Amino acid sequence: MSLLEVRDLTISFGSKKVVDCISFTLEKGARIGLIGESGSGKSMTSLAIMGLLPDTATISGSITFEGQELIGLSDREHSRLRGNRIGMVFQEPLTALNPLMRIGKQIAGPLMIHKGSSLKEGLKKALELCTKVGLPDPDRILRAYPHQLSGGQRQRIGLAIALACEPALLIADEPTTALDVTVQREVLNLINALVDKEGSSLIFVTHDLPVVSAMTENVAVMQLGKIVENASVASLFHEPAHEYSRRLISAARLAEDSFSGKGGQL
Amino acid sequence: MSQLVLEAKNLSRTYKLAKGASGSGRALRHALIDMNMKINSGDRVGIVGESGSGKTTLVRLLLGLDTPTSGSVEFKGQALIAGKMPWLRKEVQIVFQDPRSSLDPRMKISEIIREPLVCLNIQEDHNARIDEVLDSVGLDRAMRDRYPHELSGGQRQRVAIARALAPRPTVLIADEPVSALDVLVRDQILELIAALTNSLGITLILVSHDLSVIARLCDRVIVMKDGVVVESGNTRQVFDAPAHEFTRALITAIPRLPESR
Amino acid sequence: MRKAMKGNVSLIAGSIMVSITFALLILSFIWTPYDPLAVNPEDSFAGVSMRHILGADKIGRDILSQIIVGSRVTLFVAALAVTVAMTLGVSAGILIAVASRRYQSPMIYAVNIALAFPAALLAIILAAVYGASTITAVTAIGLATAAAVAQVTRRTAHGILASDYVLAAHASGASTWRIIRKHVMPNLRASLLIQASAAVSVSVLAESSLSYLGLGTPPPAPSWGRMLAGSQQYLFVNPLLAIWPGIAIVIVVLGFNLVGDGVREVFDPTLRRSDS
Repeated sequence: MSLLEVRDLTISFGSKKVVDCISFTLEKGARIGLIGESGSGKSMTSLAIMGLLPDTATISGSITFEGQELIGLSDREHSRLRGNRIGMVFQEPLTALNPLMRIGKQIAGPLMIHKGSSLKEGLKKALELCTKVGLPDPDRILRAYPHQLSGGQRQRIGLAIALACEPALLIADEPTTALDVTVQREVLNLINALVDKEGSSLIFVTHDLPVVSAMTENVAVMQLGKIVENASVASLFHEPAHEYSRRLISAARLAEDSFSGKGGQL
Repeated sequence: MSQLVLEAKNLSRTYKLAKGASGSGRALRHALIDMNMKINSGDRVGIVGESGSGKTTLVRLLLGLDTPTSGSVEFKGQALIAGKMPWLRKEVQIVFQDPRSSLDPRMKISEIIREPLVCLNIQEDHNARIDEVLDSVGLDRAMRDRYPHELSGGQRQRVAIARALAPRPTVLIADEPVSALDVLVRDQILELIAALTNSLGITLILVSHDLSVIARLCDRVIVMKDGVVVESGNTRQVFDAPAHEFTRALITAIPRLPESR
Repeated sequence: MRKAMKGNVSLIAGSIMVSITFALLILSFIWTPYDPLAVNPEDSFAGVSMRHILGADKIGRDILSQIIVGSRVTLFVAALAVTVAMTLGVSAGILIAVASRRYQSPMIYAVNIALAFPAALLAIILAAVYGASTITAVTAIGLATAAAVAQVTRRTAHGILASDYVLAAHASGASTWRIIRKHVMPNLRASLLIQASAAVSVSVLAESSLSYLGLGTPPPAPSWGRMLAGSQQYLFVNPLLAIWPGIAIVIVVLGFNLVGDGVREVFDPTLRRSDS
């Protein structure tokens, strides 16, 4: 049985379809990248898996996770999976964290909710998690508020929260778009290492082709709500089947060539 | 042959941070430290750096929208002072990063482009000029009566470019002009900026964190870190053989496509 | 606007209540069942009947007629007070937002002090000096509400002034005055609309309280607040006397509040869906 199976998923707002009949499966421990531009429906897909779509959305099709159908699940039932079996890292680490709560409590939160830990146990585990995500001086960090940390540190905290309950699936939605290039590299390496170590599956949502190619073995290319191509990274770059994939690849290649001096100047 | 247009002399900018953060009175943040820079007419200069490198502060100072703590910026030998400076606005214009926020949502496209023409008292038929710049950025004249939210990201950035070009500036500052745009739109906007600055002979100052953007458009690059210039020179030379450790770190951090690894 | 109304319960319900109020106001100039001031001793405390639809008070004045005519004072005072509050509040708010940092904090303190000053206290002082009248009530309510308007306006204007499009306007050579006129005011409109409707509610409530305390429009002009005050001593004998003006006040206050909420829903981008 696959860990996650998305079948004919359609999400619409009123008469506007933002996700149009998409299907993909994800095996235990496997990784898939969802790539697309704004309006492609990639973020809506990940929110649907998390059960975080706005009330105004209508959703049809099927999402099965660990054999359980997620569509039609009450918010209460869904929240038992969120932060527990499924963890999520968001694009903007500052807004994804509660500005008025110390970091320690925010990491301990999911452990207290899902694992019934006490605050003390939660904070102890939070300390371990901080070390795990490579934060120096974890004692100080646990007592800090989000605004006292740098963007890269906040994203590491976001990762620590997402991984606190050892989820079977991690969804990372543009996790490095708001970060500097040098920090992006570190956070990507960290996600890579942790997902490997924990053996969880990964859905990596991004608009950035070079980034996704370094993170996952399979890529689903999304355009206007549809998956236009679902292939392994190697075959996607070697022989892209869809016109849109070809355009994305040539844009990325152009940028790389111009940087390395092969592309020439405009 | 090429004339000196913009010059930064020992330019520094220090901000006072809010009280109490560190407990001991007001902390200072040195956003820009003793910077010197010369830009000649027709130059295409890239400024690269990460967040907190001082590039945004530099842009504001070059536009005369902020006052330096010490040092000065001179445009053709004339020092910038804080204030309206219409003479400078006619010469130096800017395109901001995110066209979703740099265009007033309650203004029609024509009003947005008209703003500098009116404010700078440009003696020219404004309507004709608006049509002209819309043509040159590749937008349909029928866009005049639309509002920003009716346009795509790329179209909006074209409007922002049209607004900047309307008063016929000699220097264009582009502050991360494509990083808020979709990947496939980026090339079009970069090509547009390159084509327009070339054909109109406009000096280009391009600020970006993206080295490939700088490589595509600029002859010269200035690498900044923590308010200081760490390296500058010919773009190809700097990128092919970076002298400073930070430049090397920037280059190795760029995610690569599979084949080139 | 029709599109905005669709599915917006607050806006629909609020609009209905506000419409009822204005219908009463218009009606008061055309027709009332009786002269609202006509004393009729044999109808003293008349109950709800065909003769007096909402009953009559101690001296036999028709309640329905009083309610209808009472809408005039309430809405007149509210309209004037809101005009005063919005004019003063918005100008002060924008002025503070564009002022240089050195002058900003003393002005913000001044607004906070004004904010702490209740309308009733101001009304008592004014009434003591000039005698209670419609004008003193309007002034007191207007000034007290202006402080709240100024504070919200300052915050919103501050956000607009920090936006990229204002920076772009500076780079285009726009003057401060032009930025206020062309950028700040149009983008403030939604917030002002919400504030104005909230200010109407607050003003209606304040007017009723002041009339109740005898600090508003003097008798004999009927007013809802004074009707409440008059009914107080018969509260256990004849509770309906207090309930009718109470309902009238609730409808106006709730109506304008709901309209304000509805407008917020229409304008607030965070309540709308964003792309992807």
